[in-house]
Amino acid sequence: MQGKAPGVNITTPNGVLNNPPVVRIRGVNSISLSSSPLYVIDGIPTYSGDNSATNAPNNPLSSINPNDIESIEVLKDAAAAAIYGSRAAGGVILVTTKRGKKGQSKVSVDSWAGLTKAFRLFDVLGAEDYMMIKNEAVRNLNANRVALGAAGNNVEGFRPTLDADGNVVDTRWYDYIYRTGFSTSNSVNFSGGTDKTSFYASVGYTNQKGMLENNEFKRTSARVNVDHKVYKTFSVGARINYANNYNAAPSTGSLSGSAFGTAGLGRLPLVLPPNIPAYTPDGRPATNGAGVGAGANVNPAAPTSALAPGYYNPVVDLAYNYFNSESNQIQGNVYANWEVLKGLNLRTTYGIDNVGFEDKSFQTALAGDGFSTGGSATNYYRTNKRWNWQNTAQYDRSFGEHNVSLLLGGEQQQTEVQRWGANRTQVADDFFDTYQGNFTNIAAAGNAQGFNYLVSYFGRLSYDYAKKYLLSFNARRDGYSAWGNKKWGNFYGGGVGYIITEENFWKNSGLANTVSFLKFTGSYGEVGNSQGVGDFTTLSTYGSGLYGINATLGYNNAGNRDLTWETSKKLDVGFSFGLLQDKLQGDFSYYRNTIDGLILAVPLSPSKGVPGNSIDANIGSMRNQGIEFNLKANIFQKQDFSWVVSGNVTTQRNEVLALVTEGQRIGTATSGLETVNYTRVGGSVGEILAVPSLGVNPANGQRMVSIVNADGTGRTTVQYNHQGGGWTTLDGKPARTPNQLTDGEYYGPVLPKWYGGIDNSFRFKQFDLNFFIQYSGGNYIYNGTKAGLHDQRFWNNDSDILDRWTSENTNAKWPRVVYGDNVSNGSALVMSSNVEKGDFARLRNVTLGYSLNPTLASRVGIANARLYVQVQNAALVTKYSGIDPEISSNGASNTGIGVDRNSVGQARTYTVGFNIGF
Amino acid sequence: MKIITKNTVTVALGALLLATGVTSCDTDKLDPVPETAFSDQVVFNTPARIALQINNLYAYVKSGSFLGGRYQVYSDVRADDFINRTSNAVTALQVWNHTLTETSSNDVTSVWGAAYSAINQINVFLAGLEANSASYVAPVFAADFATTTAVQYQAEARFLRALSYYSLLQLYARPYIDGNGSKPGLPLRLQAETGAGGNDLARSTVGEVYAQILEDLNFAEKNLPLTYASTTLNITRAHRNTAIALKTRVYLTMGQYANVVTEANKIVPATAPFTASSGVANSLNASIVTVFNSETTESILAFPFTAQNTPGTQNQLGFYYLPTSNPGGPTGGGEFYLNAEGILANTTALSATDVRRTSFVITNGGNSYLAKYSGGTPYLDKAPVLRYPEVMLSLSEALFRTNGPADTRALALLNAVRTRSKGTAYTSFASADAAVNAVLLERRIEFLGEGIRNIDIMRLNATIPGKGSVSAVPSSSANYVWPIPATELQTNSLITRN
Repeated sequence: MQGKAPGVNITTPNGVLNNPPVVRIRGVNSISLSSSPLYVIDGIPTYSGDNSATNAPNNPLSSINPNDIESIEVLKDAAAAAIYGSRAAGGVILVTTKRGKKGQSKVSVDSWAGLTKAFRLFDVLGAEDYMMIKNEAVRNLNANRVALGAAGNNVEGFRPTLDADGNVVDTRWYDYIYRTGFSTSNSVNFSGGTDKTSFYASVGYTNQKGMLENNEFKRTSARVNVDHKVYKTFSVGARINYANNYNAAPSTGSLSGSAFGTAGLGRLPLVLPPNIPAYTPDGRPATNGAGVGAGANVNPAAPTSALAPGYYNPVVDLAYNYFNSESNQIQGNVYANWEVLKGLNLRTTYGIDNVGFEDKSFQTALAGDGFSTGGSATNYYRTNKRWNWQNTAQYDRSFGEHNVSLLLGGEQQQTEVQRWGANRTQVADDFFDTYQGNFTNIAAAGNAQGFNYLVSYFGRLSYDYAKKYLLSFNARRDGYSAWGNKKWGNFYGGGVGYIITEENFWKNSGLANTVSFLKFTGSYGEVGNSQGVGDFTTLSTYGSGLYGINATLGYNNAGNRDLTWETSKKLDVGFSFGLLQDKLQGDFSYYRNTIDGLILAVPLSPSKGVPGNSIDANIGSMRNQGIEFNLKANIFQKQDFSWVVSGNVTTQRNEVLALVTEGQRIGTATSGLETVNYTRVGGSVGEILAVPSLGVNPANGQRMVSIVNADGTGRTTVQYNHQGGGWTTLDGKPARTPNQLTDGEYYGPVLPKWYGGIDNSFRFKQFDLNFFIQYSGGNYIYNGTKAGLHDQRFWNNDSDILDRWTSENTNAKWPRVVYGDNVSNGSALVMSSNVEKGDFARLRNVTLGYSLNPTLASRVGIANARLYVQVQNAALVTKYSGIDPEISSNGASNTGIGVDRNSVGQARTYTVGFNIGF
Repeated sequence: MKIITKNTVTVALGALLLATGVTSCDTDKLDPVPETAFSDQVVFNTPARIALQINNLYAYVKSGSFLGGRYQVYSDVRADDFINRTSNAVTALQVWNHTLTETSSNDVTSVWGAAYSAINQINVFLAGLEANSASYVAPVFAADFATTTAVQYQAEARFLRALSYYSLLQLYARPYIDGNGSKPGLPLRLQAETGAGGNDLARSTVGEVYAQILEDLNFAEKNLPLTYASTTLNITRAHRNTAIALKTRVYLTMGQYANVVTEANKIVPATAPFTASSGVANSLNASIVTVFNSETTESILAFPFTAQNTPGTQNQLGFYYLPTSNPGGPTGGGEFYLNAEGILANTTALSATDVRRTSFVITNGGNSYLAKYSGGTPYLDKAPVLRYPEVMLSLSEALFRTNGPADTRALALLNAVRTRSKGTAYTSFASADAAVNAVLLERRIEFLGEGIRNIDIMRLNATIPGKGSVSAVPSSSANYVWPIPATELQTNSLITRN
């Protein structure tokens, strides 16, 4: 769906399989709650997001076999969201699965096989350049020290390690981490029907191996959809899907919260010294304690000891550790529909959605994260149980040209989540690598319990006159268990439409030949948002823990009983049209969504010591607005050749209108370590706050940044010389240390200002060709990975560090290298030199297909057959220097957008497949 | 006809179902009660629950970011006895090389946060204990609960509050002797905080914070129990001697040596053997080696861990100081090794046969490591807070300072600690300075890795020595004290920077 639906922006945050995509419909619609849309499968809301407790993400949405999907519909505006209104602030994605059709029974087989490869990896230094740069950095450090009158006693400790044959070790760490992944998928479905009964059944098996070693996704699924007419006016049916999902992933450092992990495979090939081997000559992984072995490198500051790269050897994680999450999900519903009178339908639908997740991980005692615990195995079991019951009465009646439709209904939904688990440490022997093996210790881990309940009543009255003038009004009342004293919210909406082309004056005029269809629409409404609020967050509670062998009881949540629904006020005006006998079709709309009562974690000063240092309150306000434009053109339509182009563009502008206090800025930390994003009134959410960098001083190779003068007026340029006087003005006087809060400037928005896609489909005789381009831009990205790639600790560097300042190369891209310097590159100070524009266009998909001639096909006894080859992520055009402009190290965070910190990029896949129907 | 009947029944059933479905709303389900958390309304209604809350206060002060490990590490590695090996900002690199900023998260932000979280837990508990006092009646509560148990709990809470404020002062405020307590101290939070509002609170002066600390400690001394029922509790819960021991540290830090003598005299006899004469019989254990891996009366306060209640990742003392490989012995993360130019180089004060060298220093890969916390994974050695020899050496120093170098009791105290570990006894000192320096040196040896070093440097407003390529930090330098964290600066408009 990426780039295909206007108003829907889908970001693939990294290249880990089954990692939840970040889906935003018309922008970010909340700050503390979820901005993700509600996913409804055959009428029953389902789970989305990562439900796994391990490094292997598990998004239950992937339980559905794509071949079972008949249609996907996106609800964006208030009027369309009447039914799911209380959960529709972030939009609704309705998935409808296939049903059997009356008539001939059909069998269809879909199979594909594909290769997945890494794409756009960084060019990092090889061993020789690495040693040259780092030793130069040590020399520069000594020079700095000597200039201050201290001893320049650091040694050039970066030394070649020789392998068994006497060659200098030059390790390309990427080679141990990436592979060409092979994937296959097969599914078969049967469908058919009689006058009374129709059915659809399918089974599917998918096995995907990612570009990262040990990254795997397997899905086994089965579905039965049945519809049956008991009587002429009474029908029943059922939808049942079972899926087993198995996800395995190494420690990728790409999931939200793990950006700075010393085990992350996104980060390790960038930071690990290339002049050390992955394996010792006797074939064991090279390690030193938890970390990677240092090879021949010694610590420049303490020449008696080996260098201590605190990062892990990735081959240990890949060879011994595992992280997986396996889920079994049953999703199903039954319905009954009774047409009491002509036009009056009573319908009841009862659905369940139950998932069990078994999450397992093991970390070896040999090295890495399991080292300090002496080996560790952790298992969790989680159950998500949901039931949902909807009852509606709908009455449709026409009185002459007056058409009326009235819907009344109610819905209840209960969701219960339980998780328990334990962590075992200190493995008895290396032989054991499962939780059931023998370990010395055990401690509870990951226990959680949740419960929520939603009850809604809703009604919608629609009226049209002669299909020309359209009116609708809806109202709903929702109660949700997580709120405090104000459980209930009332929400209203309405819409109008006018189809001018239905007017006789239009039909009779010459215009009708050119403009065959023209409809104006407008709607306004309020919808609530409760998605993502903690089940018990409004309660002031005490939790129990341990003090040594004794239990404890302490204040653990500052509740706010006044917490209630966030309200989105959605306004939509637009028109849709068909020109030249619908050869050109399109629609245009302007949308504005104002969110009031935005829940914010009101920050409390840490010295108050309130748990979490914040308390939630409905206090903020925010607005999103923009336009959407969608166009489809049948450019050429002939027997043997056709060409269809469709494209869409969406613009979005987000503005924060109110926060807790005037002038407040809410920082959002990346993995708890570095705060790049700040949200403030007047800006858009999560703008990047960075100290302006003025490049490299050609006179001395020092990084220059601009700081605010002490009196608050004007700015001064200061420069940094690591351990050589620190921050000074350009004339060498000591200067204060720049800091982000005082000296930073905002770079925003971090959400694209515009995005969309262009789809081209050609058909020539039996061949079809499709290419799809997705584009997005106007946003800024904080390229924190780039900061890390130029850090002057022992970390390896991007090969462009060769363009660093030296006395011969004064007009350099990078500052003079000084060993230990983590300031000039931006590791320790968020600087504008690491802020980049995120514009890109991606050739997301190219498909070439060949369909068997129908007459030929019927001769060999098949109904239809198509063979295709496909390349996904075929090309990327961007000026962004990082691994991928479509990245999110903070996952689905609303305010931590646009941060690139050590994530694994997207893969490119090549697929061959066929589809045969009998 | 038959079909119609069946039809009617179905229809009627269907309609009934629909009607119930639409109208029924389970109101109980709109008010779910969590299964794992208590309402704040019920936590003072049994003596058992109140007892659990007392444990919670200790657990908060024991946080891995605070006195459960990192505070001790930070207080040692600021000075010159350790060398950072792993260059990891998460494990004290910036504390060690004095490059902390107000946004440094694992030290500047988290120590502040953990300490004030503990302080608020204490304040919330004290307020709740007070507010619910009318309900402490039979049959649920013992007759003397309100007059005895509740007062003892107050004393424990206030002891912990004093300990927390004292510990914060040593990092975030100028020394007391720099301006005699007139410099900016800490926001003094004494009210229970449970809601929004009240973010703004200015820093009290260093002197005002010390005054509150002493007030809390005086109350604690008066109302804490003399002893508990078990050795474990005598180490892990505050008793009267604990409050007295902390008072000696507080007065020493304030440079009020006469008061150190007064307080220490309450638990240190005039002559050997040095065993506390009242309360828990705290004394110098025969061997220092067993103090850290077992429970002895030498430990006045130390925080316990179990395999279920571990110090937490990268908080464990043993993890910081043990080498990554140690054939046949425990290993750690090797975050810091002992500086060969530091106290190790002093073979006179810390001789080759001193137990504190022979038992606590191990070598690996050409470097020396501290093996005081020898438990290895899962690192359950208690995190030490107060040991009896600290009181003895504080007393010794105070006596030398007040009575001059010839004070025989001061010398006996110093030598008791020293000779216990096979150190050579001092015979006499030429001057009070020489005597005091000998005590300071002894403290540096005795408490290596226990978080005392920073206190001993800063209370004298002395320069923090340099090491390796890290320069010394004179008292006049801005980074002599830690910055106030940005998180506080952003939310508390009355706070001032250091």
